[in-house]
Amino acid sequence: MANSELVVTAATAAEVVADEQGGGLRRTGRFALIARRFARRRSAVAGLVLLALLILFAVFGPMIGQWRFDEPDFLALAQAPSAEHWFGTTTGGSDVFALVARGLGRSLLIGILSSVAITFVAALIGTTIAFFEGWVERVGMWILDMLLVIPSFLLIAMITRSASGTGGWLTLTLALTAFGWIGYARVLRTLTLSLRELDYVHAARYMGVRSFTIIRRHLVPNLGSVLIIQTVLGVVGAVNSETALSFLGLGVKAPDTSLGTILQAGQSVVLTSPWVLIAPSVFLVALTYSMQLIGDGLRDAIDPYSRSGGKA
Amino acid sequence: MVRFLARRVLNYVVMLFLATSLTYFLASFFMDPRSNYLARNPRPPMASINASLTAANINDQTPLLERYWTWLTNIVLHWNWGLSPTQEPVAGAIATRIGASVQLVTLATVLGIVIGVGLGVHTAIRQYQWQDRVFGGISTFFLVVPTAVLALFVVIGAIYLNKALGFRLFYVTGLHSYDGNNWLLKLSDLGQHLILPTIVLTVITAVTYHLTQRTYLLDTMNADYVRTARAKGLPLNVAIRKHALRTSLIPTTVMVAFSIAGVFTGAVITETMFAINGLGKYFITTLVQNDINGSVAIAAFGGACTLVGALAADVAVSWLDPRVRIS
Repeated sequence: MANSELVVTAATAAEVVADEQGGGLRRTGRFALIARRFARRRSAVAGLVLLALLILFAVFGPMIGQWRFDEPDFLALAQAPSAEHWFGTTTGGSDVFALVARGLGRSLLIGILSSVAITFVAALIGTTIAFFEGWVERVGMWILDMLLVIPSFLLIAMITRSASGTGGWLTLTLALTAFGWIGYARVLRTLTLSLRELDYVHAARYMGVRSFTIIRRHLVPNLGSVLIIQTVLGVVGAVNSETALSFLGLGVKAPDTSLGTILQAGQSVVLTSPWVLIAPSVFLVALTYSMQLIGDGLRDAIDPYSRSGGKA
Repeated sequence: MVRFLARRVLNYVVMLFLATSLTYFLASFFMDPRSNYLARNPRPPMASINASLTAANINDQTPLLERYWTWLTNIVLHWNWGLSPTQEPVAGAIATRIGASVQLVTLATVLGIVIGVGLGVHTAIRQYQWQDRVFGGISTFFLVVPTAVLALFVVIGAIYLNKALGFRLFYVTGLHSYDGNNWLLKLSDLGQHLILPTIVLTVITAVTYHLTQRTYLLDTMNADYVRTARAKGLPLNVAIRKHALRTSLIPTTVMVAFSIAGVFTGAVITETMFAINGLGKYFITTLVQNDINGSVAIAAFGGACTLVGALAADVAVSWLDPRVRIS
């Protein structure tokens, strides 16, 4: 508990340092308050610890395992978990422990990268559309609605299928970003509508501050809490999309692997070697659930009206 | 009202046209139907490959704009959505799959909405009490469990149950296996096939509606007009039922309307798991076969569903929301 609290405050401190225009006592106070409220929620801290463990496993798992993920043991096909193969082997003789460690890393990487990229693109376009009002806003909204008409899952699948080899995960990340920001930009535009009427935004406008500077300095930071929460929760969505696509054989493909790819391999041997299925499932649910717990905790910690965490 | 709707419909038709065209170009760019033939052994002669590709209007040696024009005029003039690389008409293939999808998703969608919204209202009224915490925890868990994992564990459970019972209570693949004429047996057969995918789809739908409906109702419960009603002496339950619930249902209605497309294309994983030949599974087939015309037709159908949903949302919101005045 004390340890994880330390992690939170360290992360917050880094955030404060990174925030160039911050400085001063008030800002630090705000973040310390959020950190304290976050740390008070047991479920949120549990999520953070779980995520830390998963990241450690993804980083160091491939090193402590006795097998590499692309090095099948042909003397042990479809073996139950044992001292030699900790999580058992697949019908092709691949070590499930090595596969899961590698796949977890891939899923984490795809999920976090695309979620951050989606938030960035959506924040930029959403606020820009709202800021310029008039015909920019009307045309922009029309284009957003038009892009929303096509089910994005179809387009992402279409694009990632053409990718192959170990670079496939990057294509998948790009495709998830390319079609994932649209609905989110729409939401952020709505939130910006009230921000653009703030007095200091008007003031900045009449003082001749460049539009892009106003967007970057005044609009995006004001959405900060929403953006942080959505980035964390967006990881869940991105990981789920990645898993679904890989499970269907349209995302990450052999020789590379991800949790969805392992699930697909396990699907056909549900009854004969269930461990191929259970290991990646457990890790996948642990990953998404930890992200959800952290996101919920953050939402409660940031929300000034929250009544769930006791007094500030 | 009629003029408002007519303008909306016109706007939506233009949107659908542009979005479908965009998909056509993307699909033509990313899909390579020629590779279907090149991978064969023995490889067919080039002339015959080209002839097959040209017959389906997917030959990459024809300029893209020319292919697009042929494709477009065929749809507009003859409602002909083109051929798959195996020279099968796309429109007919989709029509049969829509039927299977409808059978699969109708019950699950209705159940999911009713259970989800009901739970949302139930837990919002009891915010931070044990019911809210328990149901909230369960829903959060199921919200993040990937569909593939959920479906796989439902299948494992059903198989063990079948074994324990000694006879086949649940079928884990397909929609029908009974061929006779007895409607009672037919119905029970359909039920045995449908129950597992329905459970999976209902859980996925319900948890989303539960958590969002809870948030919406909590937002409106703290609104000024509800507080005013309470201050004037209206009991909490009546205030919620008469004032808060109605407004909180507006965003949910919009969500339901926009989920119509997802109903057809979103069951991809479930259909694959339970080997049901619906639209989702057909979509995977078109992708794997580099079937440009087929996948564009599915995207267009999904888009059309979305727009019908959007139109329904416009009408429903104007009926639910006293602040919206059209015409």
